[in-house]
Amino acid sequence: MKRDQRFKSGIITSLNPLGFNLERWSYTVHRITGVILAGYLMAHIFETFQLGGGATAWANTMAALHSLGPLELVGLWIVAGSALYHGGNGIRLILNEAFGKFMGKPILPVYPYSPTSLGKNQKIAVWSITVVVLALWIWAGVYLLAGVGVI
Amino acid sequence: MVETIDHDVVIVGSGLAGMRAAVEILSRSGDSGKTLAVLSKLALMRSHSVAAEGGTAAVLYPEDGDSLELHAWDTIKGSDFLADQDSVWKFVSLCPGEIRQMERWGTPWSRREDGRIAQRPFGGHSFNRATYAQDKVGFFEMRSLYDKLQEFSNWTRYDETFVTALVIQDGVFRGFIGIKLRTGAIVYFRARAGIIATGGAGQLWKFTATSVSTTGDGIGLAYRAGLPIEDMEFMQFHPTGLIPTGILITEGARGEGGYLVNSKGERFMQKYASSKMELAPRDVVSRSMMKEINEGRGFTDEDSGLSYLQLDLRHLGKEKIDTKLPFIKELSMKFIGVDPAEEPIRIKPTAHYTMGGIRVDGNGRVLDGSGRFVKGLWSAGESACVSIHGANRLGANSTAECLVYGKIVGEDIAAYLDSEPNAPAPTDGSLISAEEARIFGDLFRREESSADVYSVKAKLRDVMDKSVYVFRDETGLSEATRQIRALKDEFKGVKVTDGGRVFNYNLQDVLEVGIMLELAEVVARGALDRRESRGGHARTDYPNRDDAGWLKHTLALRTADGPSFSYSPVTITMWKPVERKY
Amino acid sequence: MSLDKVTLRISRSGGKRVSYEVKYRKGMTVLDALTEVREKQDSSLGYRHSCRMGICGSCGMTIEGRPMLACQTQVSSLNKESISIEPLRSMAVIRDLVVDINPFFDLHRSVRPYLIRNNVNERDHSDREYRVLTEEVQKFLQFDYCIMCGLCYAACPTVALDPFYTGPQAITQAYRYMADPRDEGWEGRIDLLDTSHGVWRCHMAGACSFVCPKDVDPAKAVQLARIEVMKRRVLRKRGKGGSRLVPPPVSEASKEGVKPPPFDFGGAEK
Repeated sequence: MKRDQRFKSGIITSLNPLGFNLERWSYTVHRITGVILAGYLMAHIFETFQLGGGATAWANTMAALHSLGPLELVGLWIVAGSALYHGGNGIRLILNEAFGKFMGKPILPVYPYSPTSLGKNQKIAVWSITVVVLALWIWAGVYLLAGVGVI
Repeated sequence: MVETIDHDVVIVGSGLAGMRAAVEILSRSGDSGKTLAVLSKLALMRSHSVAAEGGTAAVLYPEDGDSLELHAWDTIKGSDFLADQDSVWKFVSLCPGEIRQMERWGTPWSRREDGRIAQRPFGGHSFNRATYAQDKVGFFEMRSLYDKLQEFSNWTRYDETFVTALVIQDGVFRGFIGIKLRTGAIVYFRARAGIIATGGAGQLWKFTATSVSTTGDGIGLAYRAGLPIEDMEFMQFHPTGLIPTGILITEGARGEGGYLVNSKGERFMQKYASSKMELAPRDVVSRSMMKEINEGRGFTDEDSGLSYLQLDLRHLGKEKIDTKLPFIKELSMKFIGVDPAEEPIRIKPTAHYTMGGIRVDGNGRVLDGSGRFVKGLWSAGESACVSIHGANRLGANSTAECLVYGKIVGEDIAAYLDSEPNAPAPTDGSLISAEEARIFGDLFRREESSADVYSVKAKLRDVMDKSVYVFRDETGLSEATRQIRALKDEFKGVKVTDGGRVFNYNLQDVLEVGIMLELAEVVARGALDRRESRGGHARTDYPNRDDAGWLKHTLALRTADGPSFSYSPVTITMWKPVERKY
Repeated sequence: MSLDKVTLRISRSGGKRVSYEVKYRKGMTVLDALTEVREKQDSSLGYRHSCRMGICGSCGMTIEGRPMLACQTQVSSLNKESISIEPLRSMAVIRDLVVDINPFFDLHRSVRPYLIRNNVNERDHSDREYRVLTEEVQKFLQFDYCIMCGLCYAACPTVALDPFYTGPQAITQAYRYMADPRDEGWEGRIDLLDTSHGVWRCHMAGACSFVCPKDVDPAKAVQLARIEVMKRRVLRKRGKGGSRLVPPPVSEASKEGVKPPPFDFGGAEK
């Protein structure tokens, strides 16, 4: 079947979590942090690739990296947060998807409806990961940004 | 230019009966190359059969004390002896096989501890034989049949195709003319065999349990094609319909032990049916309820002005309601904000099932005015009148009838197709262009619209609610007949106001209201002529059953001035009519 | 909150938004309001509806940004005087609020959603039923509640991006049959789910379960299906036989119960 005959929507609908549940919000953040990490991975490959240019190119790269300004450090802080969130949430997702944890069992629906896969266990899992990630992120912020006058 | 689509079998209506017949025909046709079309004016799976709640009756375990004779007796007594007894016997013998077949196709019937299928008590049955699946039996049966249909590949689905005319030529069925709502094009479905399984006409009443789509289209198709329709004045009013919408609360609630209570707090069924109480047949319960309301022992709802009584389920306990009656808990909380475990539910009799329909014989074959088979045309389910239910249907018998008659019709058609020559004879094209002109010429091009179709519809439904309800009398019915005729005249000035071709629901509404007006006249006139009370037809001026004069089926044929009535005898082979007491 | 009128801002064909004002009645649902508009103000408004009780699944639309069934959404529960109504997302709009739901039905059909038995003759022609215990029914019953309304597809972020994704409803129905003790088609369904557009595309956003009007919980079903797929890949699990037929009844004397009156042949009248 041709593509335009099937469901059509786009990236905005896919990423827009307004009006939806907590897990859909966490999906959006997971996607965005994933893109940030992918970008960071490209940058890292580029940086390590400079080794191929000989001793001078490498020395220049290292000098640049050792003299990062506040803007670049904030950027690194965001990358650090992305890695923490993506990894932490990723662990929750693996537990959900591969082991069925926090999802509940098939039940007999009783009104008012409350799906078990979005129930108390799931919410506790999401919030605990978020709290731990936030704590570590703030610590990373202090560590990265203290010496450069940002905080 | 009208497109012609050829199939071997065309089924109009995709409810339980239509899909069961489709499965039967497809299972029997194998690789023979026969094709089947299923037409529905909604999408498949949206038909009103999904709303059936209570159960499907069958004698599953005769070793527990039940018997086919008992089921037949219950059905015939419940029908107030108007049922054709040979067909009833055929029906009860096939019910158990159908339940078991549905089970093997995946229906999740509720079970006993030993893994066999569970059954529960139901109104009018002297044994617990209503097989149930939570309280959504129609929904689960539809799911199983729809899923089973996905297994076959030699069928085509035509969703959202509204059939407007039946083509019969020289006493032989040729095809159906329909409008594809998606494009607005008229299509002629030519077939060797056709089934009308479009359901009843509950929407004639304003306070009804039926979907918006239940406008009696198939019955109207046959009526307009000059075929007789039978027993239309018998309409079943289900005792427990939610105020103010009429949405159904299943009889299973009373089967599990619910009480019906009036404003004095008493279980008033004690006075009217002291042995069966709330589980008397539906017409007895509805009449008892209306008597209580008319004598001032009902409540009044301030917002809608409707009177009501109460269905009390509090003593069943939360757990029983959650496991056995979850759907009505959802309906009650969603629509009126009442938790059945805490408060009683507000209910009143609601228009529910059309006992009448297209006249068919014991095999589902449609008969014309002189009793001859219209070759190639069958009807099954609520739109057909065999008649098994007579003047009143017992609960749990309709889903059973749809399955049994779907199977009987499917079997009959498979045999018919093998014995008939292959290609249908060419049809007279003028019939088709006349239909096209009627719809797209006439209704669209009327000069001015002197009437609004929606106000005509609302007035018709109010008239039916007021005068052709549970209790009827001579003045009310003659007034109703007069008003319906006036509305028919007013309808002649209606024009389709939505000029679009794609998904023109306004056009569909206009076509539906045209059919509703004709059927309403048949119901009201038939009720006026029948001077007795029997089953679902209760007259305050003739309160007794009159077997000497009225033990016969009403047949209505269309004439230029409205319906003309004749009568046909009831087939009695097992039990003579006796007094009906519960 | 006391309202006496409510405004519906409906997204019509051609992308324009039209406002209609409707007088408010107690207990009015969004469907009631739409019917008022069509019957009294603009008969060209297109929307689907049928049962009015939340069991047929026709009236799915996006109300205030969230996919819902119009017939069971009370106007008062939205708590707004101006309600925004749009067609269901991720589906092609045909007219006003009517969307093309055929791809949804096709995807459902593609997962072979029917009971498969090796012994077809037994399935289609036997005279007894399968023996199934209530606990076994509980394992799949929740997923059989699906009314095929399509709201989960409107909410799923993967459906919005991947037009060939099997989707929450189809995977749930495939799992419903895999979990049914009577079914013997486990192997075939694993092959259908273990594809690049199958179960691996779900990222557990849970929006499908959030909007489901019948608590089918498709998110749970998809993860359970995924676990089945992994069991086959990692643990080399194989399908097993389905439930057996109940044994034939042991004939015993029929208990004394209610008996019908003896036959009183009135003679067949023609």
